[in-house]
Amino acid sequence: MVLDPQFVWNGIVVGSIISVSALGLTLIFGILNFINIAYGDYMATGAYLAFAVNAQMGLPLAVAIAAGVVGMAAGAVLIDKLVFEHFRTSSPVTLLIVSIGIAFFIRNLIRAIWGPSGNFYDVPIEANPNLFGVRYSVEQLSIIVASLLLLTAVYVLLRRTRIGIAMRAASDDRTLTRIRGVDTERLVLYVWIAGGAIAGLGGIMLGLDAQIRPNMGFTALIPIFAATILGGIGDPKGAVAGGFAIGILQEVSVVVVPSEYKFAVALAALIVGLLLRPDGLFGEATR
Amino acid sequence: MALLDLLLVVGIIAGVYSLLAIGMNMHWGDTGLLNFAHAAFFAVGAYTSAILTTPTPEAGLLAERVVGFDLPVAVGIVAGTVLAAVLGFVIATTSVRLEGDYLAMVTLSSAELVRLVIHNEAWLTTGAQTLKNIPRPMESTVATLPVSYDVFYFLLVWGLVGVCYLLFERMSNGPFGRVLHAIRENDDVALALGKDVTQFKLKSFAIGAGVAGLAGTLWAHYVYAISPVMFLPSITFLIWAAVIIGGAGSYAGAIVGAVVIVLLRQVTRFIPGSVPFSDQMSYLRLMLVGVVLVAVLYYRPEGLLGNAERLQAGTSEGD
Amino acid sequence: MTLLSVDGLRKTFGGIVAVEDVSFDVERQDIVGVIGPNGAGKSTTFRLLTGFHTPDAGTVEFDGEDVTDLSPDARARKGMIRTFQIAQELTGMSVMQNMLLAAQGHPGERAVTSALGIGGTSAFEADQRDQAEELLQLLELWELRDEYAGNLSGGQRKLLELGRSLMADPDLLLLDEPMAGINPDLTDRLLERILELRDERDMTFLFVEHDIDAVMRVADTVVGMHNGAVLSMGTPEEVQSDDRMLEAYLGGEV
Ligand SMILES: Nc1ncnc2c1ncn2[C@@H]1O[C@H](COP(=O)(O)OP(=O)(O)OP(=O)(O)O)[C@@H](O)[C@H]1O
Ligand SMILES: [Mg+2]
Repeated sequence: MVLDPQFVWNGIVVGSIISVSALGLTLIFGILNFINIAYGDYMATGAYLAFAVNAQMGLPLAVAIAAGVVGMAAGAVLIDKLVFEHFRTSSPVTLLIVSIGIAFFIRNLIRAIWGPSGNFYDVPIEANPNLFGVRYSVEQLSIIVASLLLLTAVYVLLRRTRIGIAMRAASDDRTLTRIRGVDTERLVLYVWIAGGAIAGLGGIMLGLDAQIRPNMGFTALIPIFAATILGGIGDPKGAVAGGFAIGILQEVSVVVVPSEYKFAVALAALIVGLLLRPDGLFGEATR
Repeated sequence: MALLDLLLVVGIIAGVYSLLAIGMNMHWGDTGLLNFAHAAFFAVGAYTSAILTTPTPEAGLLAERVVGFDLPVAVGIVAGTVLAAVLGFVIATTSVRLEGDYLAMVTLSSAELVRLVIHNEAWLTTGAQTLKNIPRPMESTVATLPVSYDVFYFLLVWGLVGVCYLLFERMSNGPFGRVLHAIRENDDVALALGKDVTQFKLKSFAIGAGVAGLAGTLWAHYVYAISPVMFLPSITFLIWAAVIIGGAGSYAGAIVGAVVIVLLRQVTRFIPGSVPFSDQMSYLRLMLVGVVLVAVLYYRPEGLLGNAERLQAGTSEGD
Repeated sequence: MTLLSVDGLRKTFGGIVAVEDVSFDVERQDIVGVIGPNGAGKSTTFRLLTGFHTPDAGTVEFDGEDVTDLSPDARARKGMIRTFQIAQELTGMSVMQNMLLAAQGHPGERAVTSALGIGGTSAFEADQRDQAEELLQLLELWELRDEYAGNLSGGQRKLLELGRSLMADPDLLLLDEPMAGINPDLTDRLLERILELRDERDMTFLFVEHDIDAVMRVADTVVGMHNGAVLSMGTPEEVQSDDRMLEAYLGGEV
């Protein structure tokens, strides 16, 4: 069976989006130790903010992306101050349910402001260029470039900066970090900034690749969950690897699975991954 | 009179949601299982009963469905309930050993897979199209009575809510529920005392899923026509909100929570005339659900009818 | 007659050898005390015996049957009941519910019998309540029967756990430091009761205890552990006068 390089290319594009999004989710989990169901709606918010700046205010896409990313970072901090901060000592399950409430709020706020139907960014429509038999679009290229830039930036942040190193330590062992006198509240602030920004970018990438819809982030959550778990929940490196693995697997699977069911591949990977490797690809899960 | 009709409709929806919440309360309230697949059990109940009770569609332009059985509604209701329970059992088998959050993600994903199948297997379900002409139980008999069909259906639904409430209360307060509660509190203790924890979790999952399936059948036979978009994960989340608001662990609470959620969603229907932002109303109501959910978790974590003392006893010593 | 036969048990955690080549037999109706300094591997041995850990090597035979591959609940149903070193009461359930949970073969634990109250559920339940009352009276917990277990004191929790395990009417009861935090008067009465139960109900006991006096008083056999291995085994007097045990304790305390 010959593998069509087109599918691999598509997989890399989708994988970039999943990787970036899973990275944000896993960072938040690492520090705060709960699954944020509203994360998909953070992504959608980023996408809509960029849409407002780009298509509604007519500014260039680069400006819009910056606005969406910064806006969602600020939004994540705001939601933390308004809601999550009051639940710091609650159990992970309570936090998960709190995030359901937030998800309801955000998604319907988006619907109330921008309406329920789909939108597109204002980008020049060109015939898709072709390289070695692989069709690619400018949007797809931007997605891949943006994701590589982001992944590098986060890598440097986690490896080289004090706050990043503290974040990794906290993600490995929270109590230990607290004993060593790291200001956890400051860490929490930074992780919401980072997680919100990444969610915003992930949402914009998703909107570039397909459509901007109120439930776009939520429906994308499952492959993102799958990547996060496959990589070992709380492990950034694993989330990125898991994201590309799922993205490519999903797109390549259309060779054998009807394409309506390619999403089931993520699900299968999720279940198999959980049963075989509960600690993730690199066995570095926080739990 | 119009108000009464409206109340009946809202009451029927509230009854269906109450059944869903009763099932969820067995999972979360009694057993401590994070089930995020409720929408799928609801859907399987609805589709099973619909497919079994409608005739094979005539070949037509859009009629892609090739199966239909034209069986009595009662058969459909029983089969829908049983099949949903079986699905609950199957989903639980793959994942019930997983820890809390993981279970949440796997069940949520499984539910989406079920919806994907319903959406794509048009030969069975009419796919993305609406599955129409689902018969209403005893419609001709009720027509001869001096009451409207909605009165009959209201009584039917709430009669079933009552029966389920009694049965689930008894299960929960009996020796079976005692084991579930022990599992909720601490798996290891239940194991050390010889309880087959996995088996009990599977049973809990199947029973709760079954009653959600029953809710699905009642829904399908009331609304005539169903389509996959009725079974989005947001149904699951609404039921979670109902159980938490009503008070996890309390079946009366589950019913109250379901009624609260339905009222929150439907309340603006009762406002006569045109209201500002009427287009946005349905979204604002769902935003309100989110706010109420978070507020309850903050101000009254045990919910309206939950047991604060139990929650307190559970946390006094830490883990 | 041998009830429990342990052969060559071994368990490591990463690099740490927690239990190393542990072998011993327990006769029916014996009361066996397990002693040893902190970290000797006593609790790990208990977890291996009851199926909460899988051994790296070795076998456990109970009542003539190899149970090494059985799950903890399956072993419990065969009559092996354990308590935990740190009391694991079910905080959100009442003292009485904690006790009733331990009933074995309860006909009401099936969903249908529970919902409909059929199949002898209520008669069985009533009988269990009577047994629970008797035990709770003995443990001085009867007044607290409707209290949430989470509201009990540390000592009361240990007592509840002991009572709960007796409710299961085990053949072999494995108690991990059952007397820790319990006042001496009550300890005496509990030890007496344990001696009675052995005869009345044909029970066998294996218990870890740091209170050497208690061990000397009731144990028929003592197993002394150190660094994961069985160092000394025999009558209480033999083990107490074994120099190696003394060294182990002294070494452990440095
Ligand atoms: N789950 C585990 N993971 C890693 N190491 C463990 C684990 N359980 C026990 N150990 C180690 O195994 C050794 C034996 O521990 P164990 O709890 O069996 O001792 P013990 O004799 O019961 O001590 P104590 O009297 O303090 O209760 C110790 O070094 C302990 O740190
Ligand atoms: Mg110990």
